[in-house]
Amino acid sequence: MTDVITLIQSAILIIAAFLLLLAAYGILRYGDNIENIIYARIHILGVADTALIIALLALNEPLLAAAYFILAPFAAHAIANGYFYGEEEQ
Amino acid sequence: MNILLISEYILLGALAIFAIATIRITTRKKIAMALVGLSGLSIAIATALVLVQHMYNLGFCRDIAIALIFLGPVGTIAFARVLRG
Repeated sequence: MTDVITLIQSAILIIAAFLLLLAAYGILRYGDNIENIIYARIHILGVADTALIIALLALNEPLLAAAYFILAPFAAHAIANGYFYGEEEQ
Repeated sequence: MNILLISEYILLGALAIFAIATIRITTRKKIAMALVGLSGLSIAIATALVLVQHMYNLGFCRDIAIALIFLGPVGTIAFARVLRG
């Protein structure tokens, strides 16, 4: 009989897979001509990041999940900041 | 085939689809769009490597995933800093 922990692990991995597919659809759904589309895509990427952090926790990798949980917001902010000051004014 | 292995295969498939989606937006005109795509791609590949390590007991996959997870965002931040000017 599959124990409860394995069932919970499997459920979490399937939920993460579903969120990932949602993020993949959301990233491609909008065209490039929409204004401020880059910020929307950074936000959608955040959804995918959260799903993968949850998946890493379910796979018994707390170090990797914690590291990425800390680093991902910095990277997202840096991209938005770089775009706002560097590319959007051109 | 137990349920954990099935869910790992499902997540591996979703990671492949997500990786293709991020590669598609990497090829758009703007540099920041490429940064968004690549940072999504690096975490997707790192998670896939952790999955492969779990499913096939390949120890080196985890080491590569650790490097990707730590260095991916750091490289993104550095490049975004250059982009900001």
